[in-house]
Parts: sequence; structure tokens; C-alpha cells
Amino acid sequence: MVSLGMQNQRPLFQIQLLGDHAIVYKKLSALVEDIDLDLLAFNQYVKNEKIKGVKDIILAYDTLTLIYDIIQFDVNPFLVAHQILENFSLSNNDIEENEKKSIIEIPVCYDPSLGIDLKDAAIIANCSIEALIQKHTEHIYSVYCLGFLPGFAYMGDVPNKIQLPRHPKPRAKVVAGSVGIAGKQTGIYPMDSPGGWQIIGRTPIKIFDPVKLSLFKAGDRVKFNSIDLAMFHQLNNQEDVH
Amino acid sequence: MSIKIIKKGLSDRIVDQGRFGFQDIGIQPSGPMDFLSAQLANVILGNDLHHPVFELHFPASIFEFQEPMYICISGANFVPVINEKSIALNTAIQVHPKDQLSFLQPLEGRSAYIAFKGKLDENKKWLDSYTSFQTTLNKEDHFSIQPAPISDGSVNSIQHDLVQQVQKTLFNEHEIRFIPGPAWNDLAPASIQELIQQSFTIDPKSNRMGFLLAGTPIHLTEAKQYVSSAVTMGTLQLLPNGQIIVLMADHQTIGGYANLGQIILVDLPRLAQLNNHSHFKLSITNVQTAHQLYRSIQSWFIH
Repeated sequence: MVSLGMQNQRPLFQIQLLGDHAIVYKKLSALVEDIDLDLLAFNQYVKNEKIKGVKDIILAYDTLTLIYDIIQFDVNPFLVAHQILENFSLSNNDIEENEKKSIIEIPVCYDPSLGIDLKDAAIIANCSIEALIQKHTEHIYSVYCLGFLPGFAYMGDVPNKIQLPRHPKPRAKVVAGSVGIAGKQTGIYPMDSPGGWQIIGRTPIKIFDPVKLSLFKAGDRVKFNSIDLAMFHQLNNQEDVH
Repeated sequence: MSIKIIKKGLSDRIVDQGRFGFQDIGIQPSGPMDFLSAQLANVILGNDLHHPVFELHFPASIFEFQEPMYICISGANFVPVINEKSIALNTAIQVHPKDQLSFLQPLEGRSAYIAFKGKLDENKKWLDSYTSFQTTLNKEDHFSIQPAPISDGSVNSIQHDLVQQVQKTLFNEHEIRFIPGPAWNDLAPASIQELIQQSFTIDPKSNRMGFLLAGTPIHLTEAKQYVSSAVTMGTLQLLPNGQIIVLMADHQTIGGYANLGQIILVDLPRLAQLNNHSHFKLSITNVQTAHQLYRSIQSWFIH
């Protein structure tokens, strides 16, 4: 394990080999309520470089992991891992301004018929349903990583007041589009699936499609907008047509 | 239409070498449980190493062929029979229209592979799908083969050395080696001993997502929360109840449990083929050794 000081007052990454076919770069400074911009820039850089033998580039919270093919990758992965980081530090790698600013807006219907835990959630949070919706929609969330299911984005941080515990026993089926809260995180089920999050609403937007793939990627910024049932059904029908 | 499923197996599916490049959006590669056997079956037929193959678990599907073709079965021995006559593993077998292929009993191993001379039709939805939900083989499914010319050289020369090397690696050795991971130093010293010295078996609840190890519980020095990060096939995760799960081909892309280490690629096929009651031990190795072994194994397939 080695820490690298980067030039131009760049922050520190720690490099660790993970097993025999992965490299992990871990951001050393603590993560505070947002995804780290240097990690995002590094992610973008590695993706653009198309490094021979790199099969997957996975950003999650404070780490960037490269999965490599042993035969195609350099024989000394540790050395290459350092070179990649060094080349990055020498490159001009500011994240483009629009990348920072663009916010994906997601319409969500917070009706108790769709947000099946909404009433209980308000009781747990000790506030009105309206106040819970207000809290959930006023915040801008960051996508920390994707996982669990194709297109499932872990977003945070949920305001303290409306952080809710997972169900002790997961439901056998949570409907696609369901918007849930679990602790500091909020997310949308991309497809019908078992799940233990508190479901407070549903979006008519398809967030995963086998052809277009995922609506979200790590580092995206997301805001939820409240819509009524009529609008939900209208948008839902439009999605079905496309 | 060349191959038809006339009875659905427990959990049979099509696999290729795995779809990489989508783990950043939460899509696991879903390759074979035992890449060695999948490659072996292809190479015996003179196919590209990474052609799609069928992966079977017992009880396996029953297949009917509708055109003459060559097939090869590798990996687990489920006692394959064609029209009730037993056939050899790791050998190119010619089948004829109306021939039925079935499997009688799980004699050795967990995952068997069928390769076909030529290429399974890639236009089918199950091969285009990036999600793993549609890759299972179901009753009445038909698969066509893009025919490939049969050259005597590729089909008839049974590569004895290669077959023996692969079989020995899979079934005659019992070492499962790993490289310690980020949470290794968080283990209680007594648990490090437990982990290396005890003999594990595989819990029957295991599946393509992960193998649960049955054994003495393992503990961290103190309970700790980890920030989720990427995991791989072979990652040893410590569950809160002290049980270890080894992530397998259909693993999730990220994990938040203690990451104790990763089993090296060359030992994953052996683990994948272990029966529930087989005992095995975990031992520590390093990246350099793992790479040498992997290069050496891959060189078996190149002539």
C-alpha cells in the first residue's frame, strides 16, 4: 500500500491491488456529503484514456476500481497503477462546468397508493406527509454509486429529519419506479425486485432500459419533483409508448 | 432451428466469457462459474475460446437436436446420455436429428458445459440482454447454430494433455488460494488462524451469486462499518453473523461488508466445481504467483 502526493496541491489517493485482477484508488480525505470532484475527474480521465486491458471502471463513494484482464494488462499492475495516476495529475482534467451543474429532475408521485410506506414513514419521521415530501424534494442529491440492480443509483444524503430505517424483513416485490429511503440514502427501483427500503413514492420515468441502459451514472446530481396522480398516469402512458 | 429444450432444468443458462464494461451502472458480467471448462469444451471443437456455451446444473435440461452437429460436454460429470446411451466428456460427439441428450446423476462437480461446433445465434434476445434475468434456458426454447465447417483436424484430435491438465486442476487438487483484501487487518488474530486452519464446506444455499462457506464463525476485532466499493468474482465477504460468502459469477457490482480478500482467478473454477460435502482449505498467496499461474493456464489453450 502506498500513498502518492500529487502535484499542484492535488489531493491524496491510496493505491491498493484488489486480488489478482483489480486496482483500487481510494480518496484519502474524508467524504463530506458529496461525491469527491477529484475522484469524478479521475474517473472521467481513466474512461477517456481507454487503457489496454481495463475491462471495467467502477466509481463508488470514495473509491475508483479498475478491473483488468491479466493477459492484456501490463505485467506490473502496481507500477502501471501509479503511472496512470501520475499521468492524470499532469493532465488538464478539470471537470467540465456543465458536468458539475446539470441536475437530473425526476417527477415523483408521492401518493399513498404508490408510496406504500408514506403514511408510516411520516409517523417515524414525526412530521406530516406534506413536510416529508417537502424535505425529500427540496434537497439535491448526489449519485454515489450504482449497484444492487442494473441502474439502481444510491443517492445521498437524505436530510436528517427524514432518514428512515430499512424494513427488518425485505418485501418480496417492490414495483419498478418505486422511490425509497434507507438511512442516509434514497434511490429508485429500476425493475420489480425484492427490497427493504421504505417506499415513499413512484416515478413514471423508466430509469433502466435494456437498450438505453441506465439513466444515472455515479456523480450525477438529482432532484425529485412532486407530481399528482393524474400527471403520473399521463407520463406513465407516454413512457409506455416510447 | 437446431436445438430444442424439451424439459427445463433447475437453472440452466447460456453464458459467454462475461459482459464487462457495464459494472459502473450496476450490471454484473455474469460469465461462467468455471471458465476453464467452458474454454475446454470450445477448444476441443476448434471454436473460439469464448464462444457462448450452455451452463448446466443438476437436474439439467433435456435437449433435442434437429440437425446433425458436433457438441462437446465439459466440466461436471452429470453422466450424459444420448438416446439412453452414455457418451464421453471432453470429446467431440456427433449428434443426429431427433437425438435426445439428457443427464442421469451428479457424479462429480456442479457446473457442466455444452459447446457447439459453430456459433450459437447471437441475435437472440438472451444474448443481447445485459441483465441476467433472461439467460435461463426454458422449455420450448430453440437455439440455432451458425454452421461452421468441420475440419478433421479440430474435431478429431482429442487434446489429451489439455484435458488431463484441466481435469487435474479442477478435481484432483483442493487448494483454494486468496490474496488478503482491505479488511484483512481488521480480523481478530484468533480468526485469522481459524480462517486459514479450518476446513470449510459449501452451504447448500449457495448459488451463482455466491457460495456461503460452512465453518467456524470468523470475527473482526471490533464491529466496523465499511464504505461500499467494487467487488469481484472471488471476493471473500464477511457477513455480520461471522459467515463468509465468496462472490461468484452473478455477484453484485459493489459491496459494503468486510472484504477479507479475493480468491485468485485460477482457483475459482475449482471452487465452482466443489460439491457441498467436499472439504477445502483457504490459503494465502500473492499477486505475482496468481498472475504466473493464470498465464500458465491460459498458455495451455494456445498452440
